Amino acid sequence: MPAVFNRHDPSFSVPLNDTIVALSTPPGRSGIGVIRISGAHTLALTRTLLCDPEFVPLARRAALKKLHDPASGEVLDQVLVTYFKSPHSFTGEDIIELSCHGSPTLLLHIVDALLHLGARAADAGEFTLRALSNGRLNLSQAEAVRDLIDAQTHAAVRLAARQLGGEVSTRLQPIKDALVDSIVPLESSLEFVEDDLPEDLARAVGVKLSKVAQQLDQLATTFRSGRLLKDGLRVTLAGCPNAGKSSVFNSLLSMDRAIVTAIPGTTRDSLSELTSLHGVPVMLTDTAGVRASADELERLGIERTRRSITDADIVVVVIDGSQPLTQEDRDVISEVVEGHYVIALNKNDLETFDLEQSRRTLNGAILISVSARTGSGLDALSAAILEPFAASDTLETGFLITNARHYDLLRRASASVRTSETLLAQRVSEELSLVGLYDALRFLGQITGETTPEDVLSQIFATFCIGK
Amino acid sequence: MSFDESFDIIVIGAGHAGCEAASAAARMGAQTALVTLSLDLIGQMSCNPAVGGIAKGHLVREIDALGGIMGRVIDRTGIQFRLLNRSRGPAVQAPRAQADRALYRTEMRHTLESTPNLHLRQGLVVDLVVHHGEVVGVELQDTRVLRSRAVIVATGTFLNGLIHTGRRTYTAGRAGEPASIELAEALKRMGFPVGRLKTGTPPRLDGRTIDWSAFEPQPADERPVPFSFSTESIEQPQITCFVGYTTENVHDSIRANIHESPLYSGQIKGVGPRYCPSIEDKVIKFPDKTRHQLFLEPEGHDTNEIYLNGFSTSLPAELQQDLVHKIPGLDEARIIRPGYAIEYDFVDPRELTPYLQTIRFKGLFFAGQINGTTGYEEAAGQGFIAGVNAALHCQNREGFRLRREESYIGVLIDDLITQGVDEPYRMFTSRAEYRLALRYDTADARLSPYGHQLGLLGDSDWENFNQRRERLARIRTALEATRFKRSDDAYAAISAKLNTDLGDSITLAQLALRQNVQIDLIRRLLPSNLPSEIKSSDLESALADLLYSGYVTTQKNTLERLHQHDDLSVPFDFDYRSISGLSHEMVERLERALPQDFGQVRRIPGITPAALSTVLVRLKLHKNAA
Repeated sequence: MPAVFNRHDPSFSVPLNDTIVALSTPPGRSGIGVIRISGAHTLALTRTLLCDPEFVPLARRAALKKLHDPASGEVLDQVLVTYFKSPHSFTGEDIIELSCHGSPTLLLHIVDALLHLGARAADAGEFTLRALSNGRLNLSQAEAVRDLIDAQTHAAVRLAARQLGGEVSTRLQPIKDALVDSIVPLESSLEFVEDDLPEDLARAVGVKLSKVAQQLDQLATTFRSGRLLKDGLRVTLAGCPNAGKSSVFNSLLSMDRAIVTAIPGTTRDSLSELTSLHGVPVMLTDTAGVRASADELERLGIERTRRSITDADIVVVVIDGSQPLTQEDRDVISEVVEGHYVIALNKNDLETFDLEQSRRTLNGAILISVSARTGSGLDALSAAILEPFAASDTLETGFLITNARHYDLLRRASASVRTSETLLAQRVSEELSLVGLYDALRFLGQITGETTPEDVLSQIFATFCIGK
Repeated sequence: MSFDESFDIIVIGAGHAGCEAASAAARMGAQTALVTLSLDLIGQMSCNPAVGGIAKGHLVREIDALGGIMGRVIDRTGIQFRLLNRSRGPAVQAPRAQADRALYRTEMRHTLESTPNLHLRQGLVVDLVVHHGEVVGVELQDTRVLRSRAVIVATGTFLNGLIHTGRRTYTAGRAGEPASIELAEALKRMGFPVGRLKTGTPPRLDGRTIDWSAFEPQPADERPVPFSFSTESIEQPQITCFVGYTTENVHDSIRANIHESPLYSGQIKGVGPRYCPSIEDKVIKFPDKTRHQLFLEPEGHDTNEIYLNGFSTSLPAELQQDLVHKIPGLDEARIIRPGYAIEYDFVDPRELTPYLQTIRFKGLFFAGQINGTTGYEEAAGQGFIAGVNAALHCQNREGFRLRREESYIGVLIDDLITQGVDEPYRMFTSRAEYRLALRYDTADARLSPYGHQLGLLGDSDWENFNQRRERLARIRTALEATRFKRSDDAYAAISAKLNTDLGDSITLAQLALRQNVQIDLIRRLLPSNLPSEIKSSDLESALADLLYSGYVTTQKNTLERLHQHDDLSVPFDFDYRSISGLSHEMVERLERALPQDFGQVRRIPGITPAALSTVLVRLKLHKNAA
């Protein structure tokens, strides 16, 4: 046995399991969102998410539990956990349904956590397919769901066709080419050359692989923004009474939707309207100004404001820039600093407006100078609202991954490539470093269609003069 | 129709596919006739006198593990054994041997002649006898008609063979042997889609006219690794081969005369293999290379004939002689036989079932180059499978097939029948997605139980197999169970030798996988209760198992998920057009490929993931409804 072998653990290269996860309710904002997990590791995954290794759910009973971020340990949501024990479930496998609060950000975060723990994003129709495989559906039931599957598959076909003709495959093709280019010298050194791979060639392949992994990661990181932008952002306007929230609201909508008066506290209830900022769907919410009030109706409105702030993907704090900053302004800001927020410093058309003074007092916050009355600065405000959700490196093309399955496959591909890169650097025999590269090709193939060994061989014959 | 003789099975052609097919069929109890053009050329190596190599050596090991004959014959006649890729991992190492061409023929003929139920017949088959869609015999040129219940066609390059040297062409099966023209016409008449392929061979030189000092010697391995699991030791004296190079001078001359090459004049229509290019191809397609490697390989112990490996050509004979003279060390060398290119017919292998039986005619089997492959080993592997299945067919038993994940033979046949070929198909390890598990030294563990079930692995071979399995199990247990703790004397010695800390304790298995640990160290540390003489090959196999075990398990699970529906069969009358979610293009691809199970659907080139899941759901529904 040659001494070139190293001890290493290949198991991290492909997180292996047959447990699938998917958001079962329609994407977008809703009252609740249901995440469904099916497969042998369902219970184990759930226990990790609940931070409760002892958790033994009763079959077909809902349990109220706190769900934690496995990375930070912080509580993400309070959820209803319903357990369907194998074989008495839709798929015939262990199923858990997590009924969460319906914020897309939150649901994404939970699905993402499950993927990181080793679950796999379900293929289109895969739950039904498993049900069929495990004999959980009889003929008439199967016939009944067939139309549904067809519909899903149709959607998948249409989606795939659009994406295949379009950006995903355009973006992935050069990456796949680079992978095949890396496989070729390794493979041909195994099949045709008696000598070891030259050091400089190995290094060159290593550099190429590291770039491939980076590109895959970049694509994967656009997923969170991509998904949010696809489903729509929830933007809440908050601030003290009479700061001009409703004016900003109307200006952003380009219509007089909210009633605007000089009387502080005119807006009593939250008011939502769908619009688009720079092409991104946005649910814009105007809220009642936050202040201590004895008025029962206004107190209720302020309560709604607080809820709307918690639920927002980003909060725009509107402050009257023509007046000195008040304690109430600071209180509002302190309520939103946990999440994304921008400050719209309103009324820049007034003489007493002092941007520099505000900038000094609100040190560090993102500050946009606007006038709801003249429309000045509104474009900059729109850009600032979208900024945190646009991945900077893809901003120029605006390309974003919006499909959870694609995201999952990209991450797996990247991990496989990195494993190969490490093995190559350690100079282990090439058949081992090749494993991860073929895995990566297969993962990408599940997005765009397979690359076959024949493609690799063709490339070898075109590149090298092979044969005795 | 009256018959002159009657058999169970007739095999047409006694090349590497035909020999393996006839041997397997006869030993399974079928009365088998092997019909050949010349009884003196049984097992002839038409091209390179060598067996094995990377992926091909794997195939020979598999044939041997199943109870085939190629491995045994080459072990008795090989004159230079080398294990290739020694510096690489065990999964991509493979044995190769240079053969004594004449000895190989003699040994193969002897092997066949001593096989009960096997009958050699000389003759040229001109037609197949078909009755009610079933092949029931063959007609010979000398007007004899032979009856059988199955026919295996293994005609190699003889089907419509056309030889080219320079502008001159003539029909031939090999240089100096007649082509099989009428049989080729018969197959076309029967409706088989026939294509044209091309291969070539280099000139042979007179060894006495070579300046050997100009070449670099390439000796045989000191410890030859045999092909057959039954071979104890290699008895043939081992020879040395020599390596040399072409020069720019040679290349210039080829470029100046390229119009003389039938490859470049448009005279040759057939597609040649890209991995075995002619010297013309190498010079034209890789103009930047200043030299190409050549191997001088003796053809046998009792001959001066030298095979000029790497110099395959179809240029005119006199030009070949000029070119050879321009090679350093061959200034005086004389050509004994000029090189040539040969075009021949093949039948689209998508006409075949996994049992190598044609879909069109019951009882008709194809093996070897007729299916678009190249190489003795690829031919032998198919011959074995066709022979076994022809015998099973005669016994009305269910067919025998190998899966991709358990063998290169399975990969070979599956690729052929699902993908078809557009150039001569050669095996490469990269074609096998389970490469790490398909090692040459695991062929017995993977396949010998099948050979035993089929009755093709003799009692003593089966006994050997079981003993080796037991030895490996004992070594594996010892590797896992032997543990060195910090307090042990041995621990300090090992740690000092490797110049590294080994943790609180380490097993022999863990130690073996560390960098820079040599096999001799492991051997010395094995417990004394194991038999003192542990075979090196056994220890190497056990260590290779350890090395790959993590990968193999991971890969197996991953691919199992991917392949979990592969066995789902496609009903005969399955209507792709009724699936509304499928595009017209997908339907066409599916209808053309006529897949028999979902695994084959999955491997059809160009099928999109979305189309796959659509078909899968339909198949599932169909199966549940049935």
